Amino acid sequence: MNNGLKGLESKVLDQGQCAACGACLSLCPYLRSFKGRAVKLHDCDLSEGRCFSFCPRTEVDLDALHRAVFGKGYEDIETGPVRRVVMARALTPEFTKRAQNGGVVSALMAVALEEGRIQAAILTERDSELLPQGRIAKTKEDVLTCAGSSYVTGYTLEALNRGPWQGQERIGVVGLPCQLLALARMKASPLEKRTSVDRVDLLVGLFCTWALDYRPFAEFLKKRFGDKPIRKLDITPPPERLLNVTVGNEFHQIPLEDIRAFIRPSCQVCLDMTSELSDLSVGTVEGEEGWNTVIVRTARGEDVLRCAESKGALETRVYPEDKWAHLKQASILKKQRGLNALKDVQEKYVTLPQKAIDAILKEVAP
Amino acid sequence: MSLIAQDAPGKTVLLMGNEAIARGALEAGVKVCAAYPGNPSSEIIGSLSSAADALDLHVEWSVNEKVAMEVVAAASFAGLRSLCSMKQNGLNVAADFLLNLNLTGTQGGLVVVVADDPGGISSTNEEDSRIFAKIGNLPLLEPATFQEAKDMTRWAFSLSEDLGLPVMVRSVTRVSHARGNVRLDVLPRPAAKARFDISRPRLAFPPFPGHKALLQKMDRARPMVETSAYNFYRGPEKPELLLVTSGSGWMYSLEAVINLGVQDRVGLLKLGTTWPLPANLVMKHLKQAEKVLFVEEVDPFLESNVKELFAQHCMDLGLKRFYGKASGTMPSAGEISPEIVSSALQSLLKVAYQPRPEDYTSRAHEAAAELVPARALGFCAGCPHRATYWAVKSALALDGREGFVLGDIGCYGLGMGPSGFFQMKTIHAMGSGAGLAAGFGQLERFGLSQPVLAVCGDSTFYHAAMPALVNARYNGANFVLLLLDNSATAMTGFQPHPGTGRTATGKEAPVLDLKVICESLGAKVQVTDPFDLAATTDAMLKFLQDREGVKVLILKRECALVRSKKQKKLFQVEVNQERCLGEACGCNRLCTRVFKCPGLYWDRATGKAGIDEAICTGCGVCAEICPASAIRKEVA
Repeated sequence: MNNGLKGLESKVLDQGQCAACGACLSLCPYLRSFKGRAVKLHDCDLSEGRCFSFCPRTEVDLDALHRAVFGKGYEDIETGPVRRVVMARALTPEFTKRAQNGGVVSALMAVALEEGRIQAAILTERDSELLPQGRIAKTKEDVLTCAGSSYVTGYTLEALNRGPWQGQERIGVVGLPCQLLALARMKASPLEKRTSVDRVDLLVGLFCTWALDYRPFAEFLKKRFGDKPIRKLDITPPPERLLNVTVGNEFHQIPLEDIRAFIRPSCQVCLDMTSELSDLSVGTVEGEEGWNTVIVRTARGEDVLRCAESKGALETRVYPEDKWAHLKQASILKKQRGLNALKDVQEKYVTLPQKAIDAILKEVAP
Repeated sequence: MSLIAQDAPGKTVLLMGNEAIARGALEAGVKVCAAYPGNPSSEIIGSLSSAADALDLHVEWSVNEKVAMEVVAAASFAGLRSLCSMKQNGLNVAADFLLNLNLTGTQGGLVVVVADDPGGISSTNEEDSRIFAKIGNLPLLEPATFQEAKDMTRWAFSLSEDLGLPVMVRSVTRVSHARGNVRLDVLPRPAAKARFDISRPRLAFPPFPGHKALLQKMDRARPMVETSAYNFYRGPEKPELLLVTSGSGWMYSLEAVINLGVQDRVGLLKLGTTWPLPANLVMKHLKQAEKVLFVEEVDPFLESNVKELFAQHCMDLGLKRFYGKASGTMPSAGEISPEIVSSALQSLLKVAYQPRPEDYTSRAHEAAAELVPARALGFCAGCPHRATYWAVKSALALDGREGFVLGDIGCYGLGMGPSGFFQMKTIHAMGSGAGLAAGFGQLERFGLSQPVLAVCGDSTFYHAAMPALVNARYNGANFVLLLLDNSATAMTGFQPHPGTGRTATGKEAPVLDLKVICESLGAKVQVTDPFDLAATTDAMLKFLQDREGVKVLILKRECALVRSKKQKKLFQVEVNQERCLGEACGCNRLCTRVFKCPGLYWDRATGKAGIDEAICTGCGVCAEICPASAIRKEVA
């Protein structure tokens, strides 16, 4: 039952379940984001609204959504549909220098723009205070300003809703799992959309374990480092579990436990680590610094990856079996955590076939 | 030619009660008049200012009531007749000085007119100011008719001079704001020579000698009020019921007695001098009746004082039954009316009386609904305050820390209601928003994490907010003051103030710049145009995030009513019907359902918004909020 903004407020915003994807923003004057929060400015009494329909944390039937995107239901329970998985890294230092890992996302988007596969890309950039926001990139230079991560979610999809658009552009989107889930919901929504979502032609997903809530995290960094600019944030893989922070010319390490409290509550109920509703999903490779994992899910994804490779923007390597098994394990673990957390939340937003639930819960942790 | 300055003795003219009071002052040869605007008193100074040039008076809008009282006291000390007027709240402001002035006494006649507002029609309270006469041992006069309003005011000056005391004249809304016939008397043109007699210093300290002298003056006043023609009795010698009344109660009582046809059973004792009481007159009539009813507006002032008198002399007066507010016969709050008096008389005298047919009220409402368009109590079309509160609402929501707005009385007080989007959370006295903010702004150490905002108007700023700001700065409070500078004392009728560059009589005056004042007090100051919603919201957000010290955001935009008198619309505004989203997702009637400027209307038939040309003042703010850019503004 779509309850418009009233429903979004009671089921998502008031429950702390907003994933900060931005799908509900710039659709109307009732919702606006400010410093990492989606804020309702006025009451809207519509019984049906796009905000509710597009939200990744309202009522989502994942099986139906997968059917709409991939032509089959929620069957590949480990990491979603996979054509192949490779290791990859960008070949030019302009991509790798500012990148979180191998610079593959930047290279892919730059090539897609330069080769005319898309005319615009929705990316996420951070301002001087680390506040992430959606940005329309049209050139390689635009792409480079968005490289890197701050582990904070921003309202990326707002840029898609806001435009401005000429009306002809093919659009690519780089997003977190929640953002791509929202995008899939936007495409599948039965409501009159009045957005440019139907011109989104390339979806690059990012791996994600959790993301931080901007306001408390920014406050924490400010208390710790004052007004000095934060240049880079980086998380070391287990067993270290540290957040590396480059502040001005200094290097600091913060135990992950110290920032765990800032993880958005909506991340606890997320079932998706590898951005399953994408053409291509990109993440780290454990134990291989400077490389990315790339999961190819669709023919379109395959096509773009090959194109980037052939243009010399990146190179690929066979993915080691043991790392692939480990990745799938991590993905299943997130799903198990999410399903358990869903038992405790008031609003059951996600619908999965019982068969899939049973299969996920049956998988045994190593 | 000013209506009240006609040199036409014997002529009968139709005057508003406040004009009659002003005329009375002129007939007494008043020279200096001062006030701060406040309904229902504002027209007294308003009409005197129009006579100022012709009659060579000094008339001023003072910065507040206490200063006004001090200004007229100076004139009195220098031997001139002077008048000071205010509403009931204003007397509280002036009371500190007044309750010292009673001890030092006056020279030239000094009259304090206080217009009370029973029912609080245009006030935050319905305080009864008469108690101040008792506290301060000041003679108190209560006019009951328009003629009395003039004549008693004139008499108040000579009474003041006879006693060397300020004299209070208490009016109420229905006397001050209604109109009636008034027969004019001679208009004197006294030569004035102001001089302060330095051999007679006016020193309230030490208070003891002054207090004794004051009590002696009251003793002298008692016989003077005994013989006043404003106190009279009408009715049988031994009435079944004695009705004691004053001021507005007189006309209500007279109407009720006539309507019920009980003139032979009820005696009406109408008092014009209610402090000190004409004790002998009151006791003479108390002796004649067993039942006594008190009819007066707001507090049981007469009732208590007569009972006090009775208690002292009960052995001579015999047993009585008193009816009034204490017995529950008369209401203790709100205005009274002929119907209320009729009902009281009906139950006390067991008279069958139906003041109105039973369905009168419902039929009146039905008739009114047909004839009068429904209008909410809200801001005018194009009012800058609506835009201001829209920005406040947005800024506080975005900030997300449950910030709140502390306010006070003024047009912007409507910010507590729908047209201010319910943003204002406190209303008390003039400048109290800023004062409360100076307090809230220091509670962070006790865990207050909500941002604090205060609003005050430009006139209110000079009146009472400046000390609060000084206090806040001195004690280190942290808050944002929104100074709504609409270049007028709008709520009371657009009187000029120290920021407008004009005096009460239209003369040029220096402009006391709000920005310069606030900066000199050490506040961080920014000026914005509330019609620029985005910039205003951003400025508020920026100040809200700043957790140090006093920030003042001056929202500068002339009152829509003042502007419309001077110039045409700023913009011609139109709704493009094609683009208007109406109730669709993406708008859902933001302009007519949420923003709700009366200049906009919702056309049910087409499902689109429109502009009401007759009401729109062309501020163009709706064009800024329209999400579909359907509302277009073009420079008019």
